[in-house]
Amino acid sequence: MMHASQEHSTQATPRLNVGAERVAKVYAQAIIEAADRNHCRREVLDELASIVRDVLPAAPKARAVFASPRVTPEEKAAIIDRMAKGRVLPTTLHTLQVLARHDRLGIIAEVVAAAERLSDTLDGRRQAVFTTAVPLDAAEQERIVSAVSKSLALTLAPTFVVDPAVLGGLVVRVDDTVYDQSVATSLVRLGGQLKQRSIRAIQNGEFKWEI
Amino acid sequence: MGNLKTDEIASVLREEIGRFESGIDVREVGRVLEVGDGIARVWGLSGVMAGEMVEFPGGITGLAFNLEENSVGVIILGDYLKVTEGDEVKSTGRLLSVPVGDAVIGRVLDPLGNPLDGKGPVVTAHRRPVETLAPGVAERSPVREPMQTGIKAVDAMTPIGRGQRELIIGDRKTGKTAIGIDAIINQKNSGVKCFYVAVGQKDSSVAVAIDTLRKHGAMDYTTVIVSGASTAAPLQYIAPYSGTAMAEHFMYNGQHALIVYDDLSKQATAYRQLSLLMRRPPGREAYPGDVFYAHSRLLERSAKLSKELGGGSLTSLPIIETLEGEVSAYIPTNVISITDGQIYLQPDLFFAGQRPAMNVGISVSRVGGAAQTKAMKKVAGGLRLDLASFRELEAFAQLGTDLDAATQQRLDRGYRMVELLKQGQYAPMDVVDQVLSIYAGTRGHLDDVKREEVADWEKGFLTFVRDQVPELRAAIVQSNELSAESERQLEAAIAEFKRQRAAQGSGEARQLAGAR
Repeated sequence: MMHASQEHSTQATPRLNVGAERVAKVYAQAIIEAADRNHCRREVLDELASIVRDVLPAAPKARAVFASPRVTPEEKAAIIDRMAKGRVLPTTLHTLQVLARHDRLGIIAEVVAAAERLSDTLDGRRQAVFTTAVPLDAAEQERIVSAVSKSLALTLAPTFVVDPAVLGGLVVRVDDTVYDQSVATSLVRLGGQLKQRSIRAIQNGEFKWEI
Repeated sequence: MGNLKTDEIASVLREEIGRFESGIDVREVGRVLEVGDGIARVWGLSGVMAGEMVEFPGGITGLAFNLEENSVGVIILGDYLKVTEGDEVKSTGRLLSVPVGDAVIGRVLDPLGNPLDGKGPVVTAHRRPVETLAPGVAERSPVREPMQTGIKAVDAMTPIGRGQRELIIGDRKTGKTAIGIDAIINQKNSGVKCFYVAVGQKDSSVAVAIDTLRKHGAMDYTTVIVSGASTAAPLQYIAPYSGTAMAEHFMYNGQHALIVYDDLSKQATAYRQLSLLMRRPPGREAYPGDVFYAHSRLLERSAKLSKELGGGSLTSLPIIETLEGEVSAYIPTNVISITDGQIYLQPDLFFAGQRPAMNVGISVSRVGGAAQTKAMKKVAGGLRLDLASFRELEAFAQLGTDLDAATQQRLDRGYRMVELLKQGQYAPMDVVDQVLSIYAGTRGHLDDVKREEVADWEKGFLTFVRDQVPELRAAIVQSNELSAESERQLEAAIAEFKRQRAAQGSGEARQLAGAR
C-alpha cells in the first residue's frame, strides 16, 4: 500500500531541478512586482502560461533553440521580438526579453509555475491536492473543498487526483503538509499498533505458553 | 517448543481493533531528490527543524542536517540502499532519542538503541534525546572523588577523578583500548555504570572486547554501543552522542558513569565524510569548520554535578589514534585542548616491554590530583617528575660510563620503578595494593632487589600483607590515608617480608645443596 502511494506521488510531480527552481523564484518575484506596478498581474500570468502551455509544445524546435547555449542571447532576444512584439502586453514582452538576455529561456516553464505559486500565496490562496480512491462529482468536490477550506481557514486552489491505492477516505496535501484520513494509512497505523500491543503483551507475560 | 494460545492473541487483537480510533494523520512531507553514501537531499519539508528526525518509507529514520533554501540535507541512519529517489519523507516533529535506563545495561546496541546481541528488544519507557546541552557552570561541582582505573601507572601519576575527561592518545597498537577496557573491568564493585562506544572499529576487535568484558564479569554493568567500520558514516557520527545520552541518564539520577569513546578520530573522519557530501566548506585537513565543536559539545557533557542535582558524575575516556606519533595534527590538538589531561602511549616503550606504554613526561591529569586518595597522594607525590628525570638521566648515562654513586643510585631506583609500574592486561589492581607497592618502590625498599625479580617480589609482598598483616590493609582501606602508625606498620611488614624471603631463598639454596 505504502509503495503504491509513493509511486503515485512520483508520477504526480515530475523530476525536479533544484537549481532551476531556485533561479525561477527570483525571476517570479521580479515578474510579479513588475506586473503589479502596471496593474496587470493576472493578464501577464495568463499570457505567460499560455506561451508555456500552448505555444511551446506546438513548436518543439523553439524550446530547443531557447535552451541551446549555441544560440546567443542576442539572437534569442531577436526571436522573441519577432515572435511576440505587438501580440502581448509590454510587461510580458519585457519579461521574455529579460529571460532571453540572461539566457534563462530554457527554464521559462519553472519561472511561470513559480510565479503562479507566488501569486497564489500573495492572494492568500494555497495549492491543494485532493486524492481520493474514486472520482468525485462536481457537487462532492465543492462540498469537500469548502469544508476543508473552512477547517484550515485557507482559500484553496484545488486539484483532484484519483488514486485507488488510498482505498477510501481522503488525502489532502497543502504545500508540504498532508492531512491523511485514508483507509490505507489507517490500516498501516492499526497494523503497527497491533504489533506493538502484541510485543508488549508477550513481554509482560500476558500470554500463556502451551507446552 | 511451546505454542502461544491463538484464542488469547485473537482476543487481545479484537480488543485493540475495537479501541482503534482512525484520526486524521497530519504530517509534513518532502520528496527524495537524490540519495547516496548515507545522505539524501529532500525537496519539501519546509517546516522541518535542524536536527529533527524524519522518516523514510519502511521505517528508516534520518536526521535533518542541512537546511537550505530549497532543499533539506538529511543523513540516513539505517540502510540507505533501501531509500530511492522519489520516496516520500515524513517529518516527525521529534528529535532523535535513544532508550536509556537499567534496560540498556549489559546490552550490545547500535547507536539508535536497537539490540545487536540477539537478546530481544530493549524494554524501557525512558528515552533521552541524543543531543542535549551540557550542564552549565552553576550545575557543576569540582571533581573530587577518584575514578580508579586499577592501573598503577595511571592511578599514581595521572589520576582520574569522577567527572573528568582524560584523553588516551597514541599510535595504533600501543594499548589504548586496553586502558579503557581495564578501567571498565576495575569498576566491578564500585557501582559505576560503564559504556563502551566503538566507532569505526573492526567488528572482530569489538567482538574480542565484548568477550573480554563478559569473561571478567564486566558486562553486568556495561553497555556496548557499536558502530563498526562497515556501518554508514551517519551512524558512526552519532554513536558517541547516543552513548553519552545513555550514560547521562545515570549521571542525572545521582549515579556515576564511565564512558570510553573508542575512538574519536574515526568519528571525526565520519563527520568529515558527511560534511563534504553535504557540501559544507572544508577547512584544515578537509575537516569542516565545526569539527572542534562536534568534540567539545560531546566532551562537555561529561561532568560532576552539584549536590542539588544529586551529585552524579560522568567520566569520559576519549581515545584518539595518532599517525606516527604526530600529536600536533588537527584532531589530536583539538581533543587535547578540550580534555582535562592526556595519557600518551608510545610505541617504542610498548615494544620495549613497558606496558602500559605510558610516556610519563608528557602525560598529565589537570584535575585528577584533587581526586586522589590521601594515601596515594602521599606515596606517589613526586613519582611522575622523578620518573621523567630518570628518563633523561638514562639517556644521558648511555653516553658515558663513569657515574658517581648518587647518580647510579637514582638510575637503579628508576629502573625498579619502571619495572614496578609494568602491569598485565585485564589485571586491575586494588588501590590499597597500589599504595603498598608504590610505597615500597619510592622509599627504596626495592633497590636491593634484582630488576627481573621486581614483579615477583611485588606479588609475594602483596600476598604477604593480605595474609599476615590484614589489619594494615584494613586501616588504609578505612581511612583512605597512610597515617604515621600505618607507615610504621608498613615499614615493619616490609622488613619482615624481606627477612622471610631471604630465609626462604637460603632455605631453597640449602635444599638444593642437600639434594646434591
